Amino acid sequence: MASAANMNAVRETMDVLLEISRLLNTGLDIESLSLCVRLCEQGINPEALSSVIKELRKASDAMKVSESSKG
Amino acid sequence: MSSLDQKSPNVLLQSLCCKIIGKTEAEVAHQFQYAVRVIGSNYAPTIERDEFLVSEKIKKELLKQRREADAALFSELHRKLQTQGVLKHRWSILYLLLSLCEDPRKPSRGASFGALIAQALPRDAHSTPFYCARPQSLSLSHPERFSLAQNPNSMGTSGVSSLGVYSLNGPQILLAGHQTAAESLRQPLGSHLAWNLLPTASPSFAPTSRGPLLPVITSARSALRQQRDGDSNAEIGEATLVRDILYVFQGIDGKFIKMCSQANCYKIDEKVLLSRSLRDTSSRLAELGWLHNKVRKYTDARSLDRAFGLVGQSFCASLHQELKEYYRLLSVLHSQLQVEDDQGLNLGAESNLTLRRLLVWTYDPKVRLKTLAALVDFCQGRKGGELASAVHAYGKTGDPYMRALVQHILGLVSHPILNFLYRWIYDGELEDTYHEFFVASDPTVKTDRLWHDKYTLRKSMIPSFITMDQANKVLLIGKSINFLHQVCHDRTSPGKIVPASKSMDSPRDAAELFADQEGAFQGKIDAAYFDTSKYLLDVLNRNYLLLEHLQAMRRYLLLGQGDFIRHLMDLLKPELVRPATTLYQHNLTGILETAIRATNAQFDSPEILKRLDVRLLEVSPGDTGWDVFSLDYHVDGPIATVFTRECMSHYLRVFNFLWRAKRMEYTLTDIWKGQMCNAKLLKNMPELSGVLHQCHILASEMVHFIHQMQYYITFEVLECSWDELWNKVQHAQDLDHIIAAHEVFLNTIITRCLLDTNNRSLLNQLRAIFDQIIEFQNAQDTLYRSGLEELQHRLQFEEKKRQRQEEGEWGVTTVQEAKESRHVQEFQETIPKMRSQLRILTHFYQGMVQQFLVLLMTSSDESLQFLSFRLDFNEHYKARDPRLRASLGASRGRRSSNM
Repeated sequence: MASAANMNAVRETMDVLLEISRLLNTGLDIESLSLCVRLCEQGINPEALSSVIKELRKASDAMKVSESSKG
Repeated sequence: MSSLDQKSPNVLLQSLCCKIIGKTEAEVAHQFQYAVRVIGSNYAPTIERDEFLVSEKIKKELLKQRREADAALFSELHRKLQTQGVLKHRWSILYLLLSLCEDPRKPSRGASFGALIAQALPRDAHSTPFYCARPQSLSLSHPERFSLAQNPNSMGTSGVSSLGVYSLNGPQILLAGHQTAAESLRQPLGSHLAWNLLPTASPSFAPTSRGPLLPVITSARSALRQQRDGDSNAEIGEATLVRDILYVFQGIDGKFIKMCSQANCYKIDEKVLLSRSLRDTSSRLAELGWLHNKVRKYTDARSLDRAFGLVGQSFCASLHQELKEYYRLLSVLHSQLQVEDDQGLNLGAESNLTLRRLLVWTYDPKVRLKTLAALVDFCQGRKGGELASAVHAYGKTGDPYMRALVQHILGLVSHPILNFLYRWIYDGELEDTYHEFFVASDPTVKTDRLWHDKYTLRKSMIPSFITMDQANKVLLIGKSINFLHQVCHDRTSPGKIVPASKSMDSPRDAAELFADQEGAFQGKIDAAYFDTSKYLLDVLNRNYLLLEHLQAMRRYLLLGQGDFIRHLMDLLKPELVRPATTLYQHNLTGILETAIRATNAQFDSPEILKRLDVRLLEVSPGDTGWDVFSLDYHVDGPIATVFTRECMSHYLRVFNFLWRAKRMEYTLTDIWKGQMCNAKLLKNMPELSGVLHQCHILASEMVHFIHQMQYYITFEVLECSWDELWNKVQHAQDLDHIIAAHEVFLNTIITRCLLDTNNRSLLNQLRAIFDQIIEFQNAQDTLYRSGLEELQHRLQFEEKKRQRQEEGEWGVTTVQEAKESRHVQEFQETIPKMRSQLRILTHFYQGMVQQFLVLLMTSSDESLQFLSFRLDFNEHYKARDPRLRASLGASRGRRSSNM
């Protein structure tokens, strides 16, 4: 039962985090960030998570390159 | 967002995968699998969960990118985040963001990152256990953490601290760009390993990921190697040497610099081409490794040796502490090297780690290690207090830096000693399993000799910073406490005896306490000494009546109680004239009781009187009771410590002497009594008057002699010594003083009473004189007996004559008269015999006195010389004997020459 005040706080927190993320140039959009925050809140090791994200990005880049070369 | 915590991590992860790759769930299955594996295998984070640190790092990162405004903005945002308590794992999210941070000016970051990891891997694999696996935690660009890392107690012994000075200028610049590398190093190796070891079950994914990664690693490596090593045939570069040297510092053989076991030193491989200066510098640096090995060998050998004792253990611990500081420095150097590797070409040549820099940075640690090595050498084979002395000897240097180091070690080393000491002087307990303390206890000694024999000083174990006087006091304090407990059965808690607070001193206090010789330590010992000794004396006096016993000795064994002794002699006389073999102890004990009851002795405390007893000495044939009779005083318990067996035997000897002298006085009194009584009776016998006169003269001579002797014994010997003893006892500070004073007292008496070996001839002479007195008594007795018999006979004759006349007969017939005159004649004929006997006696006696005087004259004791003047007051003997004159002059001459 999240009250309206709680909702507000969560939104503000997300805003702040998004701002930090932008400052640090992480390249995360609001949706990914929210996923990441939830994962972190569940006690996921941030180191592992960051390496996963980086590798996923690389993989996606590679896919795109291969696709474009194919296409 | 409202469902912040409802979905499982897997679901979230899957949506994240979809989001990033931009494909549907089915297409990202491989990637998702990989993600789950990585996250699952790295569940526990390897980094500190410190939000502050992470935020600081973010700020630094921003500053490094020259975005000061953004850094300020971040702080603001972070503060806002902290005020809202929505998130539980703020540090985690911040950390994630930081790791994903991309410097807009460095687009190729991902690649170099992988290379760094690959570089770091092999080194970690064979690092020593002492080489800190997390060099970044000590990076030089964190001065504030530096000071935290230092042990605040170690008085600045940190080897790194010296480096901290340099870090203000040199290394600071050198390491300015170090942060990012350290940051990336923080990435756990595990995740990358997992990445690289990804099962080949996902071939579509693996090549795409490895493709760009592997070439980068190899190229980076080879580039670095070429830069560092140069051509393999050419001479090795300085950087390689630095790397080698760092291993040598830890005592590990490097690639080129190896331990040469024959020469016992580090040597650079002869085959390696090397410029002379580099070779020289590295040899100088390698000394550090040698020193390190030396210290380490000692601690390794000793730290497991239990018999080395607590002091030794703490010495090892302090060495370890120093080594730890040294390792800390090494780890900093290592991380520095690593940073250089990682940064590769980015840094300028002038900021690299060079041999010369090492030489400067390791200067202080080298001096330190040198001192330690010297200490180790010096302390070889020592333990306990000896070890502390050895360390203390090294503290006497003019170099304040060195002194601080040694002082610190000394503090640690002497801490166990101080602990022993406090346990000992406050509780009287000696827990010295390894015989390190300077008080030794002999467990075989029984309680009756506890004070004298049980505890001794171990001279070699007295640390040099404790004076002999202090050590003696310490011994005495603990001994007193043990004496109270074990002999006096006094269970007062030691805390009550010593009011001083026994605060436990830390090692630092220990060092200061010992260093400050005149101050606190001395005061502490003195206070404990005074309180304990005073308490002990109080207990002895109050509960065990030490002083009363001392006085009782004086009164009974040294015949101070005149009326009692006189009465006892009166009562004992009939018993003692009998042969010694017919005496029975119980009879004498009964007589003693009677004497006590009849005299002032009865008012003494029963505690003393019950100890008084009769003792019969060993009987030799021909002894009378006089020879074997002796009073005895039983001592036991605590006072037996003062009145030891030797003391008692001395007392008995003195008593024997005094008793004999007293008996002479008693005998002479009897003689005088006889003379007085018989003088009137024998007045009618004019023929005896000459003999009697002779008797009187001899008797008065003897009386004079004995009186002078008694005067000498009583006043010159007993009273003087007693007064001295009493003064000393009154002012005694501890039991040892009393015992010493008492011993001095006894020795003085023994010497002055001519009982010691030097005066044996004097004593024999005196004994002979005494014997003459006894003989004279016997002679006079026979004289009087025959005189009185004759008198009786004559009176009877006169009586008979008168009776017959009354009966009307002739008073005497011719026959009777002739018979009577013959009888008188016979009697008168015995008189010259008596006379000559007396003359012989007198002659012998005077000869003996003369001899005695000569011996007195030659004696070195002044009081004995004075005695001789007193005995020969009218210079009768001096006139008779030229030796007396001569020796007197000689002795006078000797005395004047002494002045």
